[in-house]
Amino acid sequence: MSASLDPSIRLGAQGVTRRFGALVANDRIDFRATRGSIHAIVGGNGAGKSTLMRILQGMDRPDEGVVIIDGAPTVFLGPADAFEKGVGMVHQEFMLVPGLTLLENLVLAHEPAGAFGTIDRAKALEAARDLERQAGVKLDWDTPEEDAPIHVRQIVEILRLLYRGADVLILDEPTAVLAPAQVRELIALLKKLRDEGRTILFISHKLDEVLALADQITVLRNGKVVASLPRGEADKPELARLMIGEILARTEPRTGTVGETVLSVDGLTAHDARGRVGLSGMSLGVRKGEIVGIAGVAGNGQDELAAALIGLGRVSAGRITLAGVDITGLDLARRRALGLSYLSPDRAAEGLCLAAPIADNAIAGHHRRADLCRRGVLRRGAIRQHVEALLDRYLVKRASSALPASSLSGGNQQKVAVARELDGDPKFMLACQPTRGVDIRGIAFIHQCLIDFRDRGGAVLLISEELDELITLSDRIVVLYDGRVTGEATRGSAGIEQIGRLMLGGGRA
Amino acid sequence: MSDQTAALPAPPSRIRWTSLAETLTPLLLALVAAGVVLVIAGHNPFEVYWLLAVESFGGTRRIAATLAASTPLILTGLATAAAFRAGAFNVGVEGCVFVGGLAAAWVGFSFTGLPAVVLVPFALAAAVIVGALWMLVPGILKARLDVDEVVTTLMLNFIAISLTAYLVNGPLLAPGSANSATPMVAEAARLPKLMPPSTLNAGFLIAIALLILYWWWSNRTALGYETRIAGMNPRFATASGIDVPSLIIRMMLISGAIGGIAGGIHALGTVGRFVSGFSPGYGFTGIAVALLGRGSAIGILLAAILFGALTTSGATIQLFSDVPIEIVNILQGMVMIFAVARFGWIFARRRRA
Repeated sequence: MSASLDPSIRLGAQGVTRRFGALVANDRIDFRATRGSIHAIVGGNGAGKSTLMRILQGMDRPDEGVVIIDGAPTVFLGPADAFEKGVGMVHQEFMLVPGLTLLENLVLAHEPAGAFGTIDRAKALEAARDLERQAGVKLDWDTPEEDAPIHVRQIVEILRLLYRGADVLILDEPTAVLAPAQVRELIALLKKLRDEGRTILFISHKLDEVLALADQITVLRNGKVVASLPRGEADKPELARLMIGEILARTEPRTGTVGETVLSVDGLTAHDARGRVGLSGMSLGVRKGEIVGIAGVAGNGQDELAAALIGLGRVSAGRITLAGVDITGLDLARRRALGLSYLSPDRAAEGLCLAAPIADNAIAGHHRRADLCRRGVLRRGAIRQHVEALLDRYLVKRASSALPASSLSGGNQQKVAVARELDGDPKFMLACQPTRGVDIRGIAFIHQCLIDFRDRGGAVLLISEELDELITLSDRIVVLYDGRVTGEATRGSAGIEQIGRLMLGGGRA
Repeated sequence: MSDQTAALPAPPSRIRWTSLAETLTPLLLALVAAGVVLVIAGHNPFEVYWLLAVESFGGTRRIAATLAASTPLILTGLATAAAFRAGAFNVGVEGCVFVGGLAAAWVGFSFTGLPAVVLVPFALAAAVIVGALWMLVPGILKARLDVDEVVTTLMLNFIAISLTAYLVNGPLLAPGSANSATPMVAEAARLPKLMPPSTLNAGFLIAIALLILYWWWSNRTALGYETRIAGMNPRFATASGIDVPSLIIRMMLISGAIGGIAGGIHALGTVGRFVSGFSPGYGFTGIAVALLGRGSAIGILLAAILFGALTTSGATIQLFSDVPIEIVNILQGMVMIFAVARFGWIFARRRRA
């Protein structure tokens, strides 16, 4: 193709396909980022952005197709080779070293040498000042890395790539960790770098930022490029439609009635582990016999909400009530005793103990219940009967309950977790990504379990990245954006189309 | 209800064979590696191993000596395993042996008027309490502030050894003695010998009783279950409502208490007092015992007997052959290395998970 030989294309892809088993993560992807431009790649979770980024920085190789550098097809031998060709990546997790100053971090591994193997500080500072000028920022280079605010660290991360000679910058969700004012600062910096002739690849799902920054926008969905358009031709509703696609989900018919409020969250403000506000003044109620879905792009406060509900979060304001009892200050054991159950999104690390026998996994949290334990001594016979009945009821295919949980297939592992969490008739279940990594039959089964629980009068808060799942199961969908509830749609209402727009920051419904 | 008597379904024999193989592999590898050393040194490894086996287990007297040597190792192995079960790698059992030994000896020579039925439990209780308290600070630091327990407990060993050395050189030095030693404990404080003249004493029975208690506790109680789960996957345990930090503190205290008993039994049963250089590294060998025994009660017993056998046979082997004692030390070291290597493999696997 002649277009691919156009040397103004600094970085691109042509027919890039990458498969993982049956999953096609990237399906014949084409895009072109011209020199001195900002190119945004947008897409929802699972659209294939991460796979494409790994390929573009040489960490992975396509099964078919090629990466294009300066108009010519290229095969990267590895990240170092990609860097050699000028492509550098700013990761979500910064690669800076605590204990060193910002200046030392900037020149790390490429220090200007002085006499007797010392670092020539004057030369390093000179280089730093030069980069400051190019980027239009001002930094205190003697600050230790750990004392620098997060946006300063990010700037250092970017300048470090420039210092080492990269002129193509790939930024993966760079604004996820920033406050709004810092986002504006970053946008200004990136525009300045573009005007200096650098090429920037910007991965995001925040459409406001994309529209404020990008010259060209490529939209991915289900591993395919569904559109590539210049900013002038793009607007938010159109981009949102392209990203979400048509919604095929069918809502399950429901029986039973909605009762009184079981869980209520009032004005909850919570922080993530890095001290960033994850939830600001969020309120929510879940009633008996109701499944409430939380829709939102990952990182908009879902993790903080889940952590706060199970008592492991950093809550600075607000109140959580379960069945009329204020549980804000209670530990998880007491919350569980009051009828809370928690289906973890991370089956391998938190939802199950894979090294322990299946039976041990099936009783965790219930192991001190009177029917399973008497005065601190486990009632082994009762436990065995209980476990076998429970696992049979949930159709867990197993050779023996004494085998480690790791011997089960992914779907059966999740069924063990679901069985355990629905055991003992909880009042409220927090279900996070309940079908992640589960095959279609397993998904249908687990969905039915949640629906049956609701129809028995259970209250469910469903946090999921699968929009289809939310629409299938939820009686109400609440949209979380930037730590706040920005909209709500009820079952059967015409609001469903709006959800996608709201998830991407498209203003109040 | 009749549920108490029913047993869980036995795991398929496949599992038991792999775990047995995993336990024996370090030993076999050590025998092979030490065999190479023996061949290079001009000895027939099979003859040497046979001699070692005879010296350890050939006759009642030798078996008694082996079991006597195993007693402190059963206890220090158990102490290490107890902490390890909760996910804490306590390398400070050696220090607990020292402070526990001194505490028991002090009670033993200070309260001489008491009858044996009072004095022995009193002395051992002192060892338990002092040993447990010795692990209180590292336990709290680990559980609440995530301070690496390997560093804190290792450092506390040096403090324990030096502190006890100071005490037996000063305030607690036996009158008229030039050695760094306390006075001998009262006769009533001595643990009864089981097979005189062997030093095998009632401490061995205490160790076995504790092993059985540990087995029952870890397999049959809710707390044992919680500890096991927390040690394997603390995030999962936390999500199940288990208070992992307080479990860690509790198991560190129990570990210290058992380490203290090990010292107390060594003082009252074997040495009869506390001397400077009291333990020849029982706490450290206990780490190898716990790792080789894979934290199970039966495994700890067998591993302790193995190391006990190497100690007793090593002492006599030079008398009857031209094999130097260093060969036995090499063999002991090899077993430890291979046991620890297996442990490192588990650790790497866990990190990947």
